[in-house]
Amino acid sequence: MTGLVKLGFMPLDDAAGLIAAKALGFFADEGLNVELSREASWATIRDKVAVGALDGAHMLAPMVLAQSLGIGSEATPMIAPLALATDGAAITLSTRLGLGAGPSAIGLAELVAQRREMESSPLTFSVVFPFSTHNYLLRLWMAQASLDPDRDVRIVVAPPPRMAELLAGGVIEGFCVGEPWSAVAVDAGVGVVAARAAAIAPRAPDKVFATTRAWAGENPEVLQALLRALLRGLEWADAPENRKTLAALLAEPAHIGVPADLIAAGLRHVVFHRDSVARPEPVQAGWLIAQMQRWGQVPADADLAAALAVYAPEMHDRAAGLA
Amino acid sequence: MRVLVIDPDSARAALVAEGLAGVDPLEVRHRPSYDEAEAAAFAPDVVVVATESPDRDTIDSLRDASLANPRPVVMFVDRSEPGLAEAAVRAGVAAYVVDGLAPGRVRGVLEVAMSRFQLMNQLRKDLDKAKADLASRKTIERAKALLMKERGLEEEDAYKLLRKLSMDTGRPLGAVAADLLAFAGVLKGDAS
Repeated sequence: MTGLVKLGFMPLDDAAGLIAAKALGFFADEGLNVELSREASWATIRDKVAVGALDGAHMLAPMVLAQSLGIGSEATPMIAPLALATDGAAITLSTRLGLGAGPSAIGLAELVAQRREMESSPLTFSVVFPFSTHNYLLRLWMAQASLDPDRDVRIVVAPPPRMAELLAGGVIEGFCVGEPWSAVAVDAGVGVVAARAAAIAPRAPDKVFATTRAWAGENPEVLQALLRALLRGLEWADAPENRKTLAALLAEPAHIGVPADLIAAGLRHVVFHRDSVARPEPVQAGWLIAQMQRWGQVPADADLAAALAVYAPEMHDRAAGLA
Repeated sequence: MRVLVIDPDSARAALVAEGLAGVDPLEVRHRPSYDEAEAAAFAPDVVVVATESPDRDTIDSLRDASLANPRPVVMFVDRSEPGLAEAAVRAGVAAYVVDGLAPGRVRGVLEVAMSRFQLMNQLRKDLDKAKADLASRKTIERAKALLMKERGLEEEDAYKLLRKLSMDTGRPLGAVAADLLAFAGVLKGDAS
């Protein structure tokens, strides 16, 4: 047994790789003593990993790149050796907007134009973090309909578990978030799904398992063992015959704490392991950097090569027995 | 001093108020979760947020200098996380982290966070101004070159002419230079 390894996660379906590896004993099989810690915010996960209060975590891929570049926080060189999930995000709009059962970006653009003529306040949308695939997916979806996300609407940050409540309270008119939080809003009758991540940017990079470059350098064998266990967790979570068990596991209060049927509804969209999606492809880091640049989040003098080097496919390949 | 405390637990708001005793005027408002409209109306000098609050990401995003009213944020670390505050401060992760125990330290930490925030804001403004100044100088150089070419002036005379235009119209030199370039463009048909 190694010493205690502390890993953080946020209450989302795409934390399944960590939760399954722990619950099914895949970490223990590798001789690892892993403690999972449910966290309340992405910024806290980022800071805890940076200072070593967590050894590694379920993290937003663009947040990890930003952290390495020192954007939005002090710079900490990071490593992302594994992608944890893709296609789990969705854009959900308030039923009160009256855009029907399958609202389109064009419909939203027409509404925005009408509201501008009436001099109504701009519509407000929530994403989970400034540096999140959710922010970029929402902006891409709006831009398809010639909406300018910085001028035509207001985009704010809100925690995933509060999205449905904010929608119900009329504080926001839409959001982009990972499952099960769209399923929760739909079930509560306050939201309708407008677009799934897979329809906007299929297989877009979303969550990764990440740690600091320093920790990875000091604990190469522990990291490899973690990656092997996590890959087993992802493969197990992806198998259709395990989805029901997985939904029940994620539904536990210590994990997500949302009814299993809602978790299962959201899980139908999440891809964990098939088609090699767990391999952190550098081209995906490049895609994320391009999004960050497009929306003015990256200063001109940022060291983009350092950001690209965060993705470490060679570590994945070694753990997967490919190298 | 107006302090907004966002914390699911109410005990720490009392701690903040205790630590700030003697500050006058003082208003410490405690809320279990963050409400943007209410916060905007309250206009706090500093926001204190507990690490275990799910609203931390929202509040963190309010430090963004691109916002109209960025606010300094101080973070409360729960006592069940020993060493996190110290490690975070040491690593420079967050000058806004305090340990949740000692009321005597609250005032100092809030003041440091606010003055650091002011400093960062000032640095950012200075940087923006420096960039604008540089752009303005380039515009003046181009306007000067245009006058030298079109009017056959020496460099010094071109500059004097720009200065005179600036003084006659009561507008900054950079703005006069920009106008001149724009008008020259129109006359040549560039901006049709």
